[in-house]
Amino acid sequence: MRKFLSVILAMTLVLTSFAGCGKTETNISTNTETSTSTSTSENTDKPAPAGKITVAALESAYGVEAWKEVAAAYTKQTGVEVNLITDKNIEDVIGANMKAGEYPDVVHLATGRPAALTETMIKDNALTDLTDMLSMTVPGETKKVSEKIAKGFTESSLTNPYSDGKTYLAPMFYGPCGLFYNQGLFEEKGWTVPTTWDEMWALGDKAKAENIALFTYPTAGYFDAFFYALVYSVGGADFFDKVTNYAEGIWDTSEGKQVIDIIAKLASYTEKSVPSNANNDNYLKNQQLVLDNKALFMPNGTWVVGEMGKAPRTDGFKWGLTALPAVKQGGDRYSFTWFEQIWIPAAAENKEAAKNFIAYLYSDEAAKIFAKEREGSQPAIQPIIGLADSLEGDNKLFYSIYDNGAKAALGGFAATDPVEGVSIAEATFEAVNSLVSGDKTAEDYKAGIVKASDALRPHIKK
Amino acid sequence: MDKQKGRGKFVFFCVAPAVILFTIFMVIPTFNIFKMSLYKWGGYSNNKTFIGFENFRKLFNDQKFLGAFQNTILMIVIVTIVTFAFALVFAAILQREKIKGQNFFRIIFYIPNILSVVVISAIFSAIYDANNGMLNSIVNLFRNANEPIYWLGDQKIVIYAIIGAMIWQAIGYYMVMYMASMAAVPESLYESANLEGASRLTQFFQITIPLIWTNIRTTLTFFIISSINLSFLFVKAMTGGGPDGASEVFLSYMYKQAYTNSSYGYGMAIGVLVFLFSFALSAIINAVTKREVIEL
Amino acid sequence: MKSNNAKEKIFKIFVYVALITLAITIIIPILWVFMASLRDNSEFYGNPWALPKSLHWENFVEAWTTARMGEFMLNSILTTAMALVMLLIIALPAAYCLSRFKFRGKKFLNTMFMAGLFINVNYIVVPIFLMFVDADKFLKSMGLARFFLNNIFVLALVYASTALPFTIYLLSGYFVSLPVAYEEAAYVDGAGYFRTMVQIIFPMAKPSIITIILFNFLSFWNEYIIAMTMLSDPKGPKTLPVGLMNLMKAQNAAAEYGRMYAGLVLVMLPTLILYICVQKKLTQGMTLGGLKG
Repeated sequence: MRKFLSVILAMTLVLTSFAGCGKTETNISTNTETSTSTSTSENTDKPAPAGKITVAALESAYGVEAWKEVAAAYTKQTGVEVNLITDKNIEDVIGANMKAGEYPDVVHLATGRPAALTETMIKDNALTDLTDMLSMTVPGETKKVSEKIAKGFTESSLTNPYSDGKTYLAPMFYGPCGLFYNQGLFEEKGWTVPTTWDEMWALGDKAKAENIALFTYPTAGYFDAFFYALVYSVGGADFFDKVTNYAEGIWDTSEGKQVIDIIAKLASYTEKSVPSNANNDNYLKNQQLVLDNKALFMPNGTWVVGEMGKAPRTDGFKWGLTALPAVKQGGDRYSFTWFEQIWIPAAAENKEAAKNFIAYLYSDEAAKIFAKEREGSQPAIQPIIGLADSLEGDNKLFYSIYDNGAKAALGGFAATDPVEGVSIAEATFEAVNSLVSGDKTAEDYKAGIVKASDALRPHIKK
Repeated sequence: MDKQKGRGKFVFFCVAPAVILFTIFMVIPTFNIFKMSLYKWGGYSNNKTFIGFENFRKLFNDQKFLGAFQNTILMIVIVTIVTFAFALVFAAILQREKIKGQNFFRIIFYIPNILSVVVISAIFSAIYDANNGMLNSIVNLFRNANEPIYWLGDQKIVIYAIIGAMIWQAIGYYMVMYMASMAAVPESLYESANLEGASRLTQFFQITIPLIWTNIRTTLTFFIISSINLSFLFVKAMTGGGPDGASEVFLSYMYKQAYTNSSYGYGMAIGVLVFLFSFALSAIINAVTKREVIEL
Repeated sequence: MKSNNAKEKIFKIFVYVALITLAITIIIPILWVFMASLRDNSEFYGNPWALPKSLHWENFVEAWTTARMGEFMLNSILTTAMALVMLLIIALPAAYCLSRFKFRGKKFLNTMFMAGLFINVNYIVVPIFLMFVDADKFLKSMGLARFFLNNIFVLALVYASTALPFTIYLLSGYFVSLPVAYEEAAYVDGAGYFRTMVQIIFPMAKPSIITIILFNFLSFWNEYIIAMTMLSDPKGPKTLPVGLMNLMKAQNAAAEYGRMYAGLVLVMLPTLILYICVQKKLTQGMTLGGLKG
């Protein structure tokens, strides 16, 4: 009876908000009150959509148009009104309110942002378990969500942070990361793209003779994707698990030493001005080095094309993307698969409706809207089986990296309870700046990672 | 008696609004900061755990915090000394010497102070740029080397690069302040000094400085407060604390811990230390610089 | 006295060189910002000191439209003006009493305000915000509309309150230096405390008041952290520095530098104009002892 009532209430609300369209204060407050009553009757197999959900999404290179269209399409299909909040600094917009206990129902915000809001939510156990969402039917379709999401995406620590087999963050917009370079320059000089690190160093010396540095990076934070792929290619999945779970003594193994050696050697081949600009305000200068033929490779993601769209470039410039070189001839080559995450705060008021909305994002309809080419923004590719086949242009080339023999690396460092003053990202990625500038030796670098790992190991989330 | 009562009423109504607002918006929040510094709290969830002075104990073993502490002190010391010297000398020149365009210089020198930090950091990013920067093109005229100087990339230099920007911003402000108090020094003192044949330097040290001493002491407190605050804004806009934490200062590290390392309580412990530190430092400086005030 | 003319000349030359050098290091970067605001986007990737190839005035038009600058400008003007008015109404009488009257607790209050100088808004902003959240929740539970958050009047009140220690400190320094004779004469003429304060003392403090107006105008106008936290509703009011964020680059997207610098110039211009207007009074305000501590 109670449930019935709340459905009626929700329906009338939908009607009234349609009729009104104006968003007055009173309207919002009644909405939240009713939705609380809906969500108390938690029921996993039958979502009971509330009248309205609040979706907060980061405004990134993919723009906001796609989000607006998806929200509208969802409302059209289900009748649930979507209150969409987008901002370039979405953390600032929603963060303060979250501290105060007012949560959006759905948040699209990836890990790895400077403000680290998503990481904080993970550390604080403040996310909703989405495992049951995976077995929901995609709204408007007959398939289940889990049948649509490409393999591997819901198995890594980026979606299952507590390694308990439960999914807390749903995968969104994916793309290959790897080393970007200027194909035109390689053709002009008659160089071949290295497939092993030995070839890489040889090329580095050749380029040096022509006053071109081998390597640049936007900010040291970009070493995350690079580092994970490197760890995979050096020691495979088992080694990767140990590294990302801060295993004791892992950096003293031969694989561990090899990883450190390669990073340290790469640092010595890096353009010297890179650390000066390796911050959020000036990193485009580091990327510009590739466009100006001053550096050969940089670790990056597919968005770099749009990001540097207006930048001047040398004649004959053509984007190229390669996976990380193998450690030995014929060895495995990896490209990190970067993807964003979407999640529901544990304190959200309309959890079931929110899950339904996320399920909808994996529909063909939504995926098509996200992948549409738009003026001023880039198409976003949902991790749905078969979607990458329909791509065009630069993206076709980039996404084909896995067809050309590179393996996909997924995952990241295991989540821990907050440990004051210790950050594995700073020790592993930020410290590369010190390697390049010569303030740290390979030994110091290793010691830093070991120290951070030791501090974090006892606090891994179980 | 009646008059006494009216006076009390008057004082009460004058002071009460300020005290009330000050209490609500500054005293209570500060009290809350002190309270939060005794808790372990991520910032979003509901589980706050009381841990006593644990956060402070950790702070003193945190190398990065100690690095930020060092950087902050270095900044306070250098910015204060250099800005103070320049501002005082320029003020004395503009106030005492017959300079053409005196007004022009006074107006121009103050301008950096009215710019927002975002603008200043954009300016200095362009000045410090390793390959195309203005500073390197000037320095290279005198220096014969193939390597440019990495003003913001070299971990030993970056802190001084930020200090440079802070000094540039602050000179005019303090100069105008010193000029103002120098103007209040009676001209007759200098006239009689001139008659006695005292040199410029002697006049500067024997007349000007002693007579504006109160003002100088006041500005020393300002230096401490504003260096702590501005160093944060500059670092945030110019380097983000990088490279690899080399330019981290008090408040930037506090932000990092409180908002990006899910350690809000720990961050607030830093806030408490910053408050106590700046307060204590000012008190010490105030005590050390205490002189007999020269009344005229 | 003028025993050594050559020495005098060298000294003068040295002085001019120093003054002009400092002036140049200030003027050139300022011109650079104006220049940058007229550049084309592609020019930002090369030499930052090259002159713009052509003048892109449309940067300003775009900044004005995309960042909703018009609307935000009005908000900023209102917030700053309200904050200044409140600050003056509250701080002037308080500073006057705290510096010229003897009463119990005076020393304590002066020390408190002095200690307030060391409180940094960067860390008290969250507790203030949480306080407003609770207040709003209370209002809601009483069936009233929310009031405290997303309200530029409340933002102005916070600005005024956090500026109190500094303002009172400056004003007290000035009031202390006035001879008591002024008030004694007024009392003899039969003026009350209030009238004496408003009609005799405040007019004398005019230059000091202008100084604190300028100081606080600059800090209110450029303030970002409090405004961002208190005005978090995306559809609610915003001030200029917060709006300026709309012109910043989105993650992984191409940067619109020209627009961004045009926005910076738009925010900077009012402060420059105000400064040029009051600069004469500024030195005067300090001259009259405003900062004698």
